[in-house]
Amino acid sequence: MKNKDFKAFSTLVGGVSRRDFLKYCTIMASSMGLPLGAGAQMAEAVVNPKRPPVIWLSAQECTGCTESLLRATHPTLEHLILDLISLDYHETLSTPSGKQAEEARAASIKENKGKFILVVDGAIPVKDNGIYCMIAGKTVLDILKETAKDALAVIAIGSCSSWGGVPSADPNPTGATPVHKVLADAGIKTPVVNIPGCPPNPYNFLSTVLYFVTFKKLPELDDKARPVFAYGRLIHENCERRPHFDAGRFATEFGDDNHRKGYCLYKLGCKGPETFNNCPALLFGDTGAGTWPVGCGHPCFGCSEQEVGFHKPLFSKASLHLVTPPDTYPHTAEAQGKGATITGVAVAAAAAGAAFAAVNKIAGKLGDDDKKK
Amino acid sequence: MARIVIDPITRIEGHLRIECEVEGGKVANAWSSGQMWRGIENIVKGRDAREVWLFTQRICGV
Repeated sequence: MKNKDFKAFSTLVGGVSRRDFLKYCTIMASSMGLPLGAGAQMAEAVVNPKRPPVIWLSAQECTGCTESLLRATHPTLEHLILDLISLDYHETLSTPSGKQAEEARAASIKENKGKFILVVDGAIPVKDNGIYCMIAGKTVLDILKETAKDALAVIAIGSCSSWGGVPSADPNPTGATPVHKVLADAGIKTPVVNIPGCPPNPYNFLSTVLYFVTFKKLPELDDKARPVFAYGRLIHENCERRPHFDAGRFATEFGDDNHRKGYCLYKLGCKGPETFNNCPALLFGDTGAGTWPVGCGHPCFGCSEQEVGFHKPLFSKASLHLVTPPDTYPHTAEAQGKGATITGVAVAAAAAGAAFAAVNKIAGKLGDDDKKK
Repeated sequence: MARIVIDPITRIEGHLRIECEVEGGKVANAWSSGQMWRGIENIVKGRDAREVWLFTQRICGV
């Protein structure tokens, strides 16, 4: 990326320095486990004026996903989001209202047919023909279908659009449905990426967008269409309180001694053992060390996991079926000298037997003493 | 009498629609309506009170 090319871009995103920008792209690349140099490639792609536009549709949502994105820093991310990804339509962030906003969406779809990224936050209500969410007199169900078929890819941001989230909680009064299901049912084959979380970490979203813009393909996805770089491991696997779990040290009540000592929150209902996310590694909200739910002393409630967050009771214990039990201490040094001989084993066994007998004897004696008393 | 509809109202959280009737250059009547409903009232009914905050807190994320 030449200095000259960067100048125009820097003005656009509010005077970010080239150094800061490259640093930011490198952080993104490394958080995705990409090789050295990918950051520079990403920076190159972002500065390219031909980057794809983004249309953002809001369905049954609370705007928490947008808010968490706007709170991201490194460097002044609201500029990066608004200008870098050329956001053509967003209900909360668009300047025009009403007809003008809808016209901007229609114009962008027409002009960028097959080239834009569609981001959806919020679940899609399908009950009663979708009347529970209307924009400009149309159901969001219809708007999603007509927009998604012309999109290059769909990114479902947040648990609502990924799995149904809050509105789909029992008894799901409005038939809240995830985006991928609505599209599959309508026979629309545009690829969908899920970035679940309530809200999701903004970096998981931005990294996915940057990857797509740079390499013209989606990052590696798991069987639930989540990017593996972010959702490849259980929270439990990287949790700072994991040693307490392995050692059997648990908080059993909020504010009890063990809770104050920072022990494991499993018995308070922590869903870390069944939730895939990178929260312990990435933390949340850029407010310093230890700021994520478990770091603050509250159990993870599995906000980003399908059928866990908003579906399993908050304080019921997590299923441990995905967790590998802790091993004994690993061998840190190879055994020296000869291997065990048959005689050696016999001697050891005899010694162990003698010791066992001695213990029994003592125990017996104690027993006798007890009887005497 | 002219009727003006502004939907969606942007730069706010949620889906807001404003309709107004204009008579002789003045607004004679107006209606505002939220265009999205999730039924959180129904979702929290009968739920363990200790986890209701999970839902009500997410009414608005702003």
